[in-house]
Amino acid sequence: MKWNKNFWIAYTLTIIIQLLICNYLNLSPYVMLSILPVAVLCIPLNFGTAFAMIIAFVSGCAVDFLADGIPGLNALALVPVAFTRKTLIQMIFGEELFVREDGFSVKRNGFPKVLLAIIIMQTLFLAVYIAADGAGMRPLWFDAARLAASLAAGTLASLLLIGILAPEDK
Amino acid sequence: MPKRNSTWPTVINAAIFLAMEIVALNMIAAGPSLQGLRISEAAHRFMGTVWGGTEAVKDYFSLRETNDSLMRENMLLHEKLLRYAAADSLADKAAETEGDFTFTPAKILKISNNKQHNFLIINRGSEDGITGQSGIISDKGVVGIIDAVGKRHSYALSLLNSGISISARIGMEGAVGPLVWDGERSDGALLKEIPLQYKYSPGDTVYTSGYSSIFPPDIPLGVAGEARIINGATNEIRIRLFQDFSTLRYVTVVTNNGRGAMEELIP
Repeated sequence: MKWNKNFWIAYTLTIIIQLLICNYLNLSPYVMLSILPVAVLCIPLNFGTAFAMIIAFVSGCAVDFLADGIPGLNALALVPVAFTRKTLIQMIFGEELFVREDGFSVKRNGFPKVLLAIIIMQTLFLAVYIAADGAGMRPLWFDAARLAASLAAGTLASLLLIGILAPEDK
Repeated sequence: MPKRNSTWPTVINAAIFLAMEIVALNMIAAGPSLQGLRISEAAHRFMGTVWGGTEAVKDYFSLRETNDSLMRENMLLHEKLLRYAAADSLADKAAETEGDFTFTPAKILKISNNKQHNFLIINRGSEDGITGQSGIISDKGVVGIIDAVGKRHSYALSLLNSGISISARIGMEGAVGPLVWDGERSDGALLKEIPLQYKYSPGDTVYTSGYSSIFPPDIPLGVAGEARIINGATNEIRIRLFQDFSTLRYVTVVTNNGRGAMEELIP
């Protein structure tokens, strides 16, 4: 296994950072800044999809109960990310990661592939989150604007974190 | 055989996925209700203690602003008191028509303003006589509605929450309709279901109607702006709220003591 040995420490830190973001960095009603999808994306591949979904559900609930105020919203949006994680990694990075039980990183797999994976996961998370949060009460243009602004902010934040969650080889 | 081995994990994963999504959807549907608070009381206590503690640091740096705001409010209350004293001396008081409301001052420990479901946590709970479905007001209008009550703190849904609707009226004797947050600006709201035949002028003040058992009547909320016709049947009027939620620190909890008796009349 070549995975980051400190992954779970980094993962816990990411949850704490997300709690702080939810409580202190409310930029605008159009921006929902979340770094949870990238944390789930980086869960080591030797852990199965069921385990990743449980971790995603628990992490989402933690943020819902300790910061966001709507129980179940983050959990609802994060579980699909965990469910599709392995398929997406296989499609973008190829089968060899699974054969070598190796993790991905910007240096090994290239920036465009990592960026694409982050964008897809962020989009999936935000689409579910915004649809459930608006619950049909908001006009489509508002949800679309929120998705675009949140995707941009979330992707940038995720790129900053990817170095910690999926570090380069030494 | 390998086919079978690769199918079962997928089926199990899909089943777990569906189960978790159903659980999460049920949690959202249940919302942060009173029953929900019992389940998450420890979490809410954590929120009140930790986030409330950090608010204390923030408070320290905004003491001057808070002091100015309190001074202004004190002055206005003093003026109001003098007016009431003058009116009282005229005798012939009108009969008391409002419900039996109790007013409890409270401090905001935590507030969110930039989400779609904003909330606030205040430092008053069941030990202070607060009950669920009590209203929260300030000197500039309605702030929210208590949703769940702990021993020493309460969790309230802010007016800036797409799940809240309050009964409001244009002018002192105008048409009544539900007022909801517009979901975009912290000072924007929509007054819905106003009959087309009702004429109003932009700039008219909007008040609480008193038709709900939560808020007393005639609390100024904001001013009316432009309107648009919905489905050719009613007007939807844009409202600019008086309350600036970003500077809110102190509020008053309004509890209707006659609420129970009123609800018993509803079949």
